[in-house]
Amino acid sequence: MMNNIRNFSIIAHIDHGKSTLADRMIQHCNLVSDREFKDQILDSMAIERERGITIKSQTICLPFTAKDGKLYTLNLIDTPGHVDFSYEVSRALTSCEGALLLIDAAQGVEAQTLANLYLAMDNDLEIIPVINKIDLPSAEPETVALQIDEDLGLDSELVQFCSAKTGKGVTEILEAIVQLLPPPEGDPASQLQALIFDADYDPFRGTIISIRVINGTVKPRDIIRFMSNGREYKVEEVGLFKLSREPQKQLSAGQVGYILAGIKTVEDTRPGDTITLKDDPCSEPLAGFKKVQQVVFSSIYPIATDEYEDLAAALEKLKLNDAALTFEKDSSVALGFGFRCGFLGLLHLEVIQERLEREFDIALILTVPSVQYTFLLADGTEKKVDNPAHFPDPSHIDRIEEPFIKATILIPERYMGVVMTLCMDRRGENTNFHYPMPGRIEFQCELPLAEVIYDFYDRLKSVTQGYGSFDYEMIDYRKSDLVKLDILVNGEIVDALSQLVHRNNARARGLHACEMLKEEIPRQMFKIAIQAAIGGTIIGRTNVSAMRKDVTAKCYGGDITRKRKLLEKQKAGKKRMKTVGNVDIPQNAFLSVLKSDQ
Amino acid sequence: MASLYLHIPFCKTKCCYCDFNSSAGKEALYEPYLAALEREIAGMAIEGNRGALATLFIGGGTPTVLTSAQLVHLIKQVEGLFGFTGDIEITLEANPGTVRESDLIALREGGVNRLSFGVQSFNDQELCILGRCHTCREAEQAVRAAHQAGFKNINLDLMYGLPGQDGDSWQRSLDTAISLTPKHLSLYQLTIEPATPLEGYIDTGNLSLPDEDEILEMDAVTDQFCQETGMKKYEISNYAELGFECRHNINYWRNREYFAAGAGSVSYLKGVRDKRVADPAQYIDLINRGGSAVVESEELSQEASFRETVVMGLRMTQGVSLRELYDRYTIDLKEHYGDTLSRLIGLLLLRLTEDRLHITEKGFPLANRIMAELV
Repeated sequence: MMNNIRNFSIIAHIDHGKSTLADRMIQHCNLVSDREFKDQILDSMAIERERGITIKSQTICLPFTAKDGKLYTLNLIDTPGHVDFSYEVSRALTSCEGALLLIDAAQGVEAQTLANLYLAMDNDLEIIPVINKIDLPSAEPETVALQIDEDLGLDSELVQFCSAKTGKGVTEILEAIVQLLPPPEGDPASQLQALIFDADYDPFRGTIISIRVINGTVKPRDIIRFMSNGREYKVEEVGLFKLSREPQKQLSAGQVGYILAGIKTVEDTRPGDTITLKDDPCSEPLAGFKKVQQVVFSSIYPIATDEYEDLAAALEKLKLNDAALTFEKDSSVALGFGFRCGFLGLLHLEVIQERLEREFDIALILTVPSVQYTFLLADGTEKKVDNPAHFPDPSHIDRIEEPFIKATILIPERYMGVVMTLCMDRRGENTNFHYPMPGRIEFQCELPLAEVIYDFYDRLKSVTQGYGSFDYEMIDYRKSDLVKLDILVNGEIVDALSQLVHRNNARARGLHACEMLKEEIPRQMFKIAIQAAIGGTIIGRTNVSAMRKDVTAKCYGGDITRKRKLLEKQKAGKKRMKTVGNVDIPQNAFLSVLKSDQ
Repeated sequence: MASLYLHIPFCKTKCCYCDFNSSAGKEALYEPYLAALEREIAGMAIEGNRGALATLFIGGGTPTVLTSAQLVHLIKQVEGLFGFTGDIEITLEANPGTVRESDLIALREGGVNRLSFGVQSFNDQELCILGRCHTCREAEQAVRAAHQAGFKNINLDLMYGLPGQDGDSWQRSLDTAISLTPKHLSLYQLTIEPATPLEGYIDTGNLSLPDEDEILEMDAVTDQFCQETGMKKYEISNYAELGFECRHNINYWRNREYFAAGAGSVSYLKGVRDKRVADPAQYIDLINRGGSAVVESEELSQEASFRETVVMGLRMTQGVSLRELYDRYTIDLKEHYGDTLSRLIGLLLLRLTEDRLHITEKGFPLANRIMAELV
């Protein structure tokens, strides 16, 4: 039975067509009628569809009859494409025997692709290179094939050509999966070892655990145990991911599917953990489990203070299918009660923000995102700080350390200069580079994480005209010199705008924040002074001049409704602002201080 | 007090700033339109005992594109159906380019006792930019003719904040206006309405508007002018000699009921605001089929209506009466607005006396900001 299973992933850079290829495979295997079909069928969240990105892993079980006449089960494990979610990717890859390396025929290989390819190789996956978008006028499939052969060291004999858009080459790819990827190994009769690679939440059934059974068998009424925390649950249902969940009598070695066990606490279900049976446990968990690390922290406040309870409930709900999100209560003088949240990265932060606003209809303010710093204090204690509000008294600080990353940037050779400059501006260290293929540079640089979370990726895209791609990993903590930068609006410190910045950048960042706020804060009925300060010393100032006239000249019997609606619109606009002192600060202003001025 | 508004959606030419429901070149519709209008009025009057009208306002468009005989006939019809109170105010909007003295005499004799001239400016260059079909000399002549015809209550509409206009030019328009001894002035800051030709000229940079400083200078000119002439501001854009405030419009600002008939007109009766179809041909068609021309209806909740009444009332310098509001809505204004009200009073934008809430002199230039907090 295992001989008829193939478990695979698709590795691709954003925009190289992963979701489209998945769509075509689903259609080819007749899993969905053309009438019911919609693009990016696996990306079910609105934000995924709009941005054309995959945030959550999705699994789909494809029945495929190959040329040999046999029916195969192809399990496609769709993975997120963004660097923020690379841990999820690594878990998903561990569940596979092979991967399609999808490359855009016009773009060639990108940093993200390389990073995930290395990840796949580390997991000993069989790789099938697929060159997509061969229908594009700018496609150079032969050149890309050569790159694959010479630069990636993959067998060009195996290269598949396709256009996921038109469907050309998709049958051949499915056939290649059957022929070239090995079936899973493992022993259905041995002790259960199942890898959790994802978890989702169903309000009626509880946590839906996505698993790959490595050894053994699991079935309803079994008592399972999570090896990382020892929690035990009784299995209610096991099954396969067709377009909807399809219950099975059991799942055994080699299979990919789900377990429902009435689990209501998402913390118990950690991607990367191993599930075994209580009565007949395996001796060792599968390798590679680690707790996900939040690297970016920001406080979230409802604009309407009476929506705090709603926000709390919304975060609880999101947490159910996003174990990587952490939050705890926080409060701000300016903004009232909110939550300090931890994220995997800035995209993750944006996703959570958007989901809170859209799915739960709560207007939010986010404070300036921060990384987590280590403060070694004069009394010998160590303090982790990710919130400017908790900045220790400077006279008590002995030493500050900040997290560093190693960035890998892949660019066409001609952008070397601008990228080097960008990295140096962001306090980059220890740069080096090599040529993985002619004309392309793989540039490596060690950077403070704090410099990357702001707008580094946007800037990189901009200076390389979209050709630069970027991946990073955390390396260590290094000594730093930080100050707390405060912003005052009409003399009042807006604590939500405070940020921890490197001393050398403080003045520039402060002036920049003043300028951005001047743009974002609309004129009001009085003059507004915006100041930047470090430790009580004002280092920059701008003003928003007073609005002096705003009157509707005419309003008679026929105009009343329309004019009233205009006033109501004006009122609604004001509601989306936060009043600090007497000043209405729009939501955008809080994030604008992060934006680059270049 | 019963009020009726009648809309005449026709003009000789369409001005470039105008987004009212009016169009030029539809002379063929005048007769059938009047017939439909009278039919609609008759239908309204039959619906029940409405009481005699205290105000009648014939607006447009340009009502004076119709002959004085047509207009007088219309007024007689209305009187026959509703009846008039002894001191009824009958206003007719008139374009200085479309009236002759003989017409004015006929209208005066036909019952019109208040004339409102859309003069807009006493500067020919400004009139030309606005696309008006008359010169300032013609306007002066028309106003004099109205005096001759016996009109005692004359209003002039003027606009400021026009492209190329400055404080001096505004001063000259005001001076000319007052020399014609009107009892009432409507002084409107130009609003650039969406999808008008003027918006296009501004957007493409062919014309530019005075900046905020210049507008405020013109406002200062207006204030000074009022002090010197005794014209008293009683609403955001309206000024009158004591006792000559427009009763029909005050009725709108007090958010009271009014009848209306004609294409695009809006009536407000028993808490329901009904809007009629804007297109005159469609209007004629709907009425002639014996149906209603109403295409939109709005009925606000008690609370929303209260807020609307407050916002409308604050357009007037006398503001709103707390007792009147309570009697009408059983809502206590101070309680209802709470901190918002205290804050606006604290900022000296609103003032609360024993029974009245009104916008202060400092507050009027920011009226929309204030109203947006109260709406």
